[in-house]
Amino acid sequence: MMWLRRLFSRRRLYKDLSEEIREHIEEKVEELVATGMSRKEAAAEARREFGNVTLIEEDSRDAWRWPSFENFLMDLRYGLRMLRKDTGFTAVAVLTLALGIAVNAAMFSLVSGFLLARPPGREPERVAAITSVNPAGGFLPDASAVSAPNYLAWRQANHVFEDMAAADAYRTVNLSSQFQSTADGPPEPLRDAAVSPNYFSVLGVSPQLGRTFSDGEDQPGRDHVAILSHEIWERRFGSDASLIGRTIRLNRENYTVIGVMPASFSLLGFPHQLWTPLVLTAADQTAAARKDRSLYLFARLKPGVTLDEARAEVVTLARGAGETFPETEKGWGAGVRTLPDFLVYAFGIRNALAILMTTVGFVLMIACANVAGLLLARSAGRRKELAVRIALGAGRLRIVRQLLTENLVIAFLGGAVGLLFAYWGIPFVRANLNFNEAISAVPLSLDWNVLLFALGVSLVCAVLCGLAPALNASRTDINTNLKDESRTASQGRSHSRLRRVMVTGEIALALFLLVGTGLLIRGIFLIAHQNLGFRPDHLLTAGVTLDNARYKEASQQARFVQDVVPRLQQIPGAAVVAVASDLPATGPNTVTLQVKGQPELPANQRLRALDVLVSTDYFRAAAIPLLHGRTFAETDNATAPPVVVVNEEFVQRHLLGHEPLGKQIRLDVSGSTPQWSEIVGVVANVKTHSEGSRDDPEVYEPFLQRPVSSFSLMVRATSDPNSLASALRSAIAQMDAELPLARVMSMPEVIEHQRGGDSFFVILLGGFALLALILSAIGIYGLIAYSVGQRTHEIGIRLALGARNPDVLRMILREGLKMSAIGSAIGLALALPLPKLFDAMFYGLYLSELRLYFIVPTAILLTAMLATYIPARRAMRVDPMVALRHE
Amino acid sequence: MSWSRGLERTFRPSMRTREQRDLFPGALEMMILRTLKRQPLHGYALVQQIKRTSNDLLQIEEGSLYPALQRLLKEELVKADWGISSTNRRVRTYKLTAKGAKHLEHEVSRFERMLEGIARVLAPGES
Repeated sequence: MMWLRRLFSRRRLYKDLSEEIREHIEEKVEELVATGMSRKEAAAEARREFGNVTLIEEDSRDAWRWPSFENFLMDLRYGLRMLRKDTGFTAVAVLTLALGIAVNAAMFSLVSGFLLARPPGREPERVAAITSVNPAGGFLPDASAVSAPNYLAWRQANHVFEDMAAADAYRTVNLSSQFQSTADGPPEPLRDAAVSPNYFSVLGVSPQLGRTFSDGEDQPGRDHVAILSHEIWERRFGSDASLIGRTIRLNRENYTVIGVMPASFSLLGFPHQLWTPLVLTAADQTAAARKDRSLYLFARLKPGVTLDEARAEVVTLARGAGETFPETEKGWGAGVRTLPDFLVYAFGIRNALAILMTTVGFVLMIACANVAGLLLARSAGRRKELAVRIALGAGRLRIVRQLLTENLVIAFLGGAVGLLFAYWGIPFVRANLNFNEAISAVPLSLDWNVLLFALGVSLVCAVLCGLAPALNASRTDINTNLKDESRTASQGRSHSRLRRVMVTGEIALALFLLVGTGLLIRGIFLIAHQNLGFRPDHLLTAGVTLDNARYKEASQQARFVQDVVPRLQQIPGAAVVAVASDLPATGPNTVTLQVKGQPELPANQRLRALDVLVSTDYFRAAAIPLLHGRTFAETDNATAPPVVVVNEEFVQRHLLGHEPLGKQIRLDVSGSTPQWSEIVGVVANVKTHSEGSRDDPEVYEPFLQRPVSSFSLMVRATSDPNSLASALRSAIAQMDAELPLARVMSMPEVIEHQRGGDSFFVILLGGFALLALILSAIGIYGLIAYSVGQRTHEIGIRLALGARNPDVLRMILREGLKMSAIGSAIGLALALPLPKLFDAMFYGLYLSELRLYFIVPTAILLTAMLATYIPARRAMRVDPMVALRHE
Repeated sequence: MSWSRGLERTFRPSMRTREQRDLFPGALEMMILRTLKRQPLHGYALVQQIKRTSNDLLQIEEGSLYPALQRLLKEELVKADWGISSTNRRVRTYKLTAKGAKHLEHEVSRFERMLEGIARVLAPGES
């Protein structure tokens, strides 16, 4: 423990040293005096011969310590002292950085929550997610689901996976009240995944209570077992541990609860509330079942097998299937990703996060540039102090280190305050980011990732803000500064040039952000005010999923619809009632099709259209105008010849404007024999998504000719639609007490829900862009104000030599204008390709808003002029006499 | 570009102090150890002794002795005690330790080898 003792005995060591040096000089002086020198001369001579006492003492002390660390501590103390002394500067710098770091940390919490979160389970990177690649394209075509025959075949034939599991991830199961009463809550639709029994073991997760599925529970007769999510167990069953082994009613049948998963078991984009066994029967192995692609496959890699090897094998298997079953499999490929990669990819949130992170990155750069500008200005004010320190023997490196330490203190203070802001901001973001269950299910918090990120950002800030000013300051010329001639010498040129470059860059970035945000805001505005093609007002909607127990057959589903419409019509205030597989403008499914008389196209070039199944009064309920022909009638039922109604876009795009009525088309619908349907009517376009501006070709089929189990009810009300909600519920309960209604809300609320994410996203972006503008304005103001202050003397001379106030004003304004103009030009050039980029990132959002390219630069120039004008006016008021006497 | 110029100036070691402090790294320490081997001395006497022995050929800044002494103290190659000098002055006398003596021997032999090497290279005529 030598070093420890040394640490404490150091004070004595240093005292000895000082005394020794003093004695040394004394002795020398005496010796010199003895040779006849005067005491004063001798003292001077002794010191000269000895050298710089302070420096030597310091060097000697260095021998005893860890110099770098202790210097750092010293710098830290000194830095803190300097920052305390200059509270105004510190506050502005810290606050600026805090804002920049706060928005970055808050947005990074999204990255951390969505992209970096490790899926639960053992070694998730060793789990492969296997998907189909849809040759027809569409949304994320390479993350399509796999058919049951392919699952069974690949599971058998592969040599790369230990085990393969399948999940039918998007089922809805109705949880009924247990005792046929509403005592334990009304019937409720649950998000269910039907999974192969090995699903949980492949993922490597264990239940919190009970067990997971065992082999054989995917056989009919043994399959009435269920595993609950933590949320349902808590909410519906009061966290009752004795629930295991008891019976619950799912889809009118008794299921035994065998397990409860822990709250931590949640996969991004798969917010399941319930798991039931996936039962695959002989029907699932027929050639027809190949068209029904609804399974996501998860497989654990064998030890030593790489992802690439696994991919090669699965791709080969898929190619084999394509050769054996060309009719259904031609062109279809297979994709293999690791589980974490797949979840993030399939969730499709990367683009939005990339835009957000880029934006806040720019905000941070602007903040850093501002603080760097402040530091440059400040270091100019500190030149004398630095000159003194250099004169006293401080090395340049030491000065740079000292200044960097100060910047580090500023940056970390900024980081700490920023994290505090982020701590408040993240719950706000979490609360507003709720437009679907999958998004809401992801927890956001100030986790370790965010903390580390903020730490890193702070460090980068310290260097970005500090290096240039510190290097600049360390070049301080002792002589000029100590002689105090600096006031006449004009400002160091490189010094203010650097600031100018930074402010110009700030303006360019701010302009870029404003144009980008402006484009998005404009796009959102246009979409919010566009004509959707139907009237959403006064519409009440609700989701229904019919269960197999009572409504397995198509005829049963048809009968339900035939029963429910007249019943709902009885509700007082209900004008028109309709049923549709998808509500208007909510992105219905796409089908491929063929028009009779046109040549048959290969799978990846077939015509595509949106496909909606609607009841007779749908067009009246939604108020979609009929353009030609007729809409559906009660007589268009299962026994009548198949008919369809198409929209205008369909006629334009697929029939090339030819007469549509009487034309025959054939839809490639899975699970039914293809047949020719006659076009009997043409209706106006309805937007594909209420949050987009696309019109796509669309086909409407009569519900009765192809019933489905999951659909929406629409009630056009004569008054406030929400006032009919309870009547709607009781009408359904009277028909079937065990049938739950999902998402009972008005159509405007549905649209609001769909757009929710977008508008919040744009509000965030707009906020960041505004922050960028304000910060840049502060930057310009700070620079001009400082330069006016520095030039007071020069301005005084100019005035004294006869320059007039307007001349001076013009001179200063020109300086500001020049920077803003150059910055704007750069920003504009950067912003030009933005519409293309957004179009690529957001499906069908092409915005060419030329006006923005004038409005934004004008706004920037005005802001810059204002920021310049305030200090410039001060320059005008310079009194020549005062200015020349200045200092 | 003004940045790089700054960098270069900042990180170039300052030649001024190094030249005056040392002839080559470790030379001053070696001379101190050698001088102390003959007899224990205090700082002032030590520097005078070195100057005298070198016939004032070596211009040593008197103060530069002290950082070197502190380093030797830390390495425990010398030890120091306060006492009263012959001129009745409170002085701190440095004495070579056993470890110091061994270190000196090692250093001197190393130095001599190096010197020999240099001399051979510099010797005229041969090559």
